[in-house]
Amino acid sequence: MTWPGPDSGAAATAPGSGYLGPYRVLDLTDERGLLAGRMLADLGAEVIQVEPVSGSSARTLSPRNSAGESLAWEAYARNKKGVTCALGTSAGRDLFLRLVAVSDFVIDSTEPGRLDELGLSYERLAAVNPRVIQVSIHGFGALGPKSGWAVSDLVLWAAGGALYPHRQLDRPPVRPSVPQAFLLASCDAAGAALVAHFARERSGAGTHVEVVAQQSVALTTLGRVLAYAVGDEQDVPEAPVRAPGTVMIDTSLSGSATGRSKWPVADGFMELHLAIGPAGGPWTNRFLRWLADQGAIDRDIADTDWSALPERLLSGEIDEAFLERARTAVGAYLARHTKRQILDAALAHRFIAAPILTTKDLAESPQLRERDFWFEVTASSGGSLAMPGPYARASNGAFTMRCAAPGVGQHNEEVYGAVLGLEAPTIEALAADGVI
Amino acid sequence: MPGEEPPPLAELKVVDFSWAVAGPMIGRTLADYGATVVKVESGRKVDTARLIGPYHDGRRDTENSALYDNCNLGKLGLALDMGHADAPAVARDLVTWADVVIESFSPGVMGRWGLDYASVASLNPRIVMLSTSIMGQTGPQRSLAGAGNIGSAMSGFQHLTGWPDLPPFGPYGPYTDFVGPRFSLCLLLAALDQRRRTGEGAYLDISQAETAIHLLGAQLAAYFAEGVVAEPGGNADPDWAPHGVYPCRRSHADEPGWIALSVRDDESWRSLVAVAGHPEFKDPRFATAAARHALAAELDDLLGQWTSTATAEDLEVRLQATGIPASVAASSRAMLDDPQLATYGHFVRVKHPESARAAIQRGPFHIDGIPPRLDRVAPSLGRDSRLVLCDLLGYSADRADGLERSGALR
Repeated sequence: MTWPGPDSGAAATAPGSGYLGPYRVLDLTDERGLLAGRMLADLGAEVIQVEPVSGSSARTLSPRNSAGESLAWEAYARNKKGVTCALGTSAGRDLFLRLVAVSDFVIDSTEPGRLDELGLSYERLAAVNPRVIQVSIHGFGALGPKSGWAVSDLVLWAAGGALYPHRQLDRPPVRPSVPQAFLLASCDAAGAALVAHFARERSGAGTHVEVVAQQSVALTTLGRVLAYAVGDEQDVPEAPVRAPGTVMIDTSLSGSATGRSKWPVADGFMELHLAIGPAGGPWTNRFLRWLADQGAIDRDIADTDWSALPERLLSGEIDEAFLERARTAVGAYLARHTKRQILDAALAHRFIAAPILTTKDLAESPQLRERDFWFEVTASSGGSLAMPGPYARASNGAFTMRCAAPGVGQHNEEVYGAVLGLEAPTIEALAADGVI
Repeated sequence: MPGEEPPPLAELKVVDFSWAVAGPMIGRTLADYGATVVKVESGRKVDTARLIGPYHDGRRDTENSALYDNCNLGKLGLALDMGHADAPAVARDLVTWADVVIESFSPGVMGRWGLDYASVASLNPRIVMLSTSIMGQTGPQRSLAGAGNIGSAMSGFQHLTGWPDLPPFGPYGPYTDFVGPRFSLCLLLAALDQRRRTGEGAYLDISQAETAIHLLGAQLAAYFAEGVVAEPGGNADPDWAPHGVYPCRRSHADEPGWIALSVRDDESWRSLVAVAGHPEFKDPRFATAAARHALAAELDDLLGQWTSTATAEDLEVRLQATGIPASVAASSRAMLDDPQLATYGHFVRVKHPESARAAIQRGPFHIDGIPPRLDRVAPSLGRDSRLVLCDLLGYSADRADGLERSGALR
């Protein structure tokens, strides 16, 4: 274990503290669920990653460093202990069940049915510990006609409805370049575990919980996937292509349907949507008035109330040419300024504009540094790296930033010895037999 | 026994000052599992979610937004004009009554109403108060306002969604609005558990941008470890090839067809070659993953020629039958027709005063024996003001009448 150093900026507190200090979690997840247990570990729970004897498949997950070690493993298995256990052997299964007997939660992302085949169904876990809560993360789900379907992040993003509407120009629909579906499902799994925990506090009994990544994705579409169900034809266009001469009426604050909120600036790009309608119009008004004060845009554009534009566009009183004139002036001004200049102006003059930050920009962000966001660790391979630390600020000791992601079987002695009370020769024999 | 136990959050009392998506989705989940969630809203500036579609029956109206309904299912609606002279007393009574306060205003707004954490805690030391904002309550950029598109820019997601040869595109929708509430919920429930054990309240300061940065944690670690800056790659994957989205024959006249597919390894590639039956795919040039990556542009072209001959629905079945991950890129019509989502009851019809077609989405938790409560439609503005004031806060009918007459309940 490596304690974070004084410069890590994170709240280092002793084991057993943090909001979830009293609880122990057995984490069977792989690349499809690592973050769930980590969210609980970040809050102080003792989370024990239980891996195959040769190590988790998540240890090869991209991105990898030049030595082939997974930074995804480093980021999503941090704050956890690591043990090995051959769940496919009867000795391994028995060992695992002994851990279940003294644990509060089990989290898995094993494909539906597999744990049952191994003799580790929820019923089996509950038999040794009626209080245990098991949270299973699945791609399509354990029920239903697609329960046996093969999964990948891209495919779940597609099945969850977040892919179809998202097209840039005439390209195919596109997902974020960093896989998100199982990460979102993992976040949902952590929340689900705690809701079930509240139920357990009342009833004394554990339960089995399922979280389905396809649904987690469907809940990441701003309700767009409801459009057909509720009969909103206008909301189901082939975005962004539309018939010539028609106007896209997008009254959201973010402008996702309009898709024209990225502006080239002197040193990169800015995010700025010229919003129309009641939600965003007032912000646009402030921005354009500031631009007019710079002499960068015609007064008639700045004096228009953009809150009222949807009706005037639909009636034909104002046309696209007006919008394009505004866009041309905005674009010309932004192109001559830097991300920092425009951000500073947005902060000072209360309009909405943000630099499109890269990971390098994030690493150098004064905001994140001020907020003590980063957690520095020494990886088990010896290199130093940092990553996001606490995911909020809290007034009392919520988080415990303890340690880097574990090496394979790093805590076998500690967990099997201290938690299960096994003697050292017994542990060695288990290792020699390939059980751990 | 299922159905006999009160729901897990039955005794939890929540005052929800939040609006749009990032705040309200927290309270939505709490309400699903039995919490009493009082949504405080003013007609002078309604919840912006009401102004965003989709709309039931396509009819745009502030009382008809499916997005608003989705975010606020199960809550009680109190109309309260926070600028009115009578409002502070009501707000103080609410936070005294509550276990939890949720707000999503720009930093400082609650303080101007005398509802900053210190003030609330002096009235109710056990309160757990959660503030969710784009950038957090502190720091030089805390006042940066906006919706999730701003959060997406400030969290690295705008840069990382799109094509290497085009300007950044960004994720679909205000992405940080979806990530923030997930982390918020976990933290809030953990804080409440801690309070149950210790009696201590807490102030929780969530930055939506920071929560999304956590979903780039691996990429940040890669930067700190070796200076690698993550770049957008369309739909490509560093390890799997081919991996992308390909055009298909339309199943519906008004919807383009797309299939998403991902090939893990050489064995999987050979399965696809067998399914496709196109001689070009048998070319030994494509036999290894390294080659398929290097030849991605050519291979994607060839794949598109093949996929264009069939519908996405047909292709996904044929590919899945050989164990290759594949799916239609589902439109909202396809989502409604998806038997998998139907199995899980994802789309739920709700009894709505304005529309017979109103529907919301079920939440993501499937807890054996503990079904969510999905039958109470989101409140119209001020629908439950009376109930909140008299039944929950214990005001007399006269006092409630007085607030009505004075104009505070708008």
